[in-house]
Amino acid sequence: MRSQEELLKALSDCVVDMEDELVGEVAQEYVTAGYPALDGILKGLVDGMQKAAALYEQEEYFIPELLVCSEAMYNGLEVLRPHLESAGSQEKHKVVIGVVEGDTHDIGKNLVRIMLETAGYEIYDLGRDVPLQKFVDKAKEVQADVIAMSTLMSTTMPGMKRVIEMLEEEGIRKNYKVIIGGAPISPAFANKIKADGYSANAVEAVTLVDRLLQG
Amino acid sequence: MTPKERLYAAARHHPTERPPCICPGGMMNMMFREIMEASGWRWPEAHMDAHQMAGLAIALNKAGGFENYGVPFCMTVEAEAMGAEVNMGDLLAEPHITDYLLAGVDDWTQLNSLDLNRGRVKTVLQAIALLKQQNDGVPIIANITGPVSVVGSLVDISTLLKAFRKNPKTSSIFMDSIAGNLIAYGQAQLAAGADAVCLSEPSGTGEILGPKFFREYSVKYINQIMDALQPPLAMVHICGNLHSVYDLLPELHCDIFSFDSLVPIADIKAAVPEKAVMGNVNTHALGTSSPKKIAQLVRSCHRKGADIIAPACGLPTTTPLVNVQAMVAAARDVKNING
Repeated sequence: MRSQEELLKALSDCVVDMEDELVGEVAQEYVTAGYPALDGILKGLVDGMQKAAALYEQEEYFIPELLVCSEAMYNGLEVLRPHLESAGSQEKHKVVIGVVEGDTHDIGKNLVRIMLETAGYEIYDLGRDVPLQKFVDKAKEVQADVIAMSTLMSTTMPGMKRVIEMLEEEGIRKNYKVIIGGAPISPAFANKIKADGYSANAVEAVTLVDRLLQG
Repeated sequence: MTPKERLYAAARHHPTERPPCICPGGMMNMMFREIMEASGWRWPEAHMDAHQMAGLAIALNKAGGFENYGVPFCMTVEAEAMGAEVNMGDLLAEPHITDYLLAGVDDWTQLNSLDLNRGRVKTVLQAIALLKQQNDGVPIIANITGPVSVVGSLVDISTLLKAFRKNPKTSSIFMDSIAGNLIAYGQAQLAAGADAVCLSEPSGTGEILGPKFFREYSVKYINQIMDALQPPLAMVHICGNLHSVYDLLPELHCDIFSFDSLVPIADIKAAVPEKAVMGNVNTHALGTSSPKKIAQLVRSCHRKGADIIAPACGLPTTTPLVNVQAMVAAARDVKNING
């Protein structure tokens, strides 16, 4: 039988090495051996995803690789999650995320969701082509900490500004940190529409949200 | 020199007195609200009516706009023709795909083949024929959406990228079939009178795919399409950051290479010295800054070595006409050393 240490490494390796089919068996072996699920997630799967993210930053991995790694992580999570002790799960910060109305390009948004989830945030994914009001409604409903909007098209950028205006109109702007991203978005645009932050990619988005919520 | 002669000359590194200033169309949309309001031909109707589509392209050129005609004004024609559902947008929002037709690459057999006699494919072909009738020396640029982007409009792009890695065999069969359809469409556009073909690839980029898959999927199929079409002038635009694939760019079969505003012109000049370099005026600036600033950007692109001045991406529909006029005027004012 493998030790916890060995199995944690195997879980991490499955994620980094894109073993999205093998990972389920390893996770099962880990659970059957009676090791704590939370460790398996944080020191195994999440550790692997963080290593994959590092490889992405070094341009060893690109988006196809990152996606298969995340699939491996999710497959592992599916096995481990039911074994989590509820006491272990503390209150998480909440992020409402989506691609603004008029745009259906969601790959960047999906990567941001994956990386934020990996970092321990609770994500409410509104999907793509999201009506602007829905960002506001969902953020109110779940008492979100962060609203994250993405678009790939310059024509739909004004929608981001509109969401911020809607928050202002309702007098609830200061309840949320609003972050934006996507190919045509720049830090200057983020400043102009009074967003709280901009990130150029999914890995940076985690640092950004961490920083905003500490502040 | 007619604008068409100037474009051909610039593309072949022949002497011209100054660079042409164009906007290809398609994903690199050339159309914006002021021209629609002035001409009375508006989106979304103009996406579905050849007379309006051609009329808008002519109106823009006559208003001191770009030195070419470029249709259509979006990148959804091909995917729609193969079965995808499209929301036609409105005056300001371009058409976009609303739902993915296929659950995965294995479903590729369910695709329609692109019918040249129906829908917006037919509209575009008719618009090109109408523009040809102008016979005014303004080059007509036909547009093809890049093969990876078309597939990424039919299947969820995340699913597709995973399939590139996990299921290369079916992915290739799928891509072959798409390339075949795009070739038929391109041939029909050339037969209708197009003077050049521009293929724009917003999804199959170096930044998204990385060098391995960029070569295996983007470069391979772009070349397959351009080899089959043999257009008088072949242009390729690749979005996003390119530094991971600089050494692969010379493999692209095209005369003109176009790229994002964040990519340094000097890098591309060094990577593809035998190709003409087109670009790369920031479209956000075109949409929001002053004519004076736009003229500066044009002069800067020219100084850095752009052979053809063009926007670096599709124009926002809110772009002011004065900025486009300033862009073209500035390109007319600069002097080529070899001219």
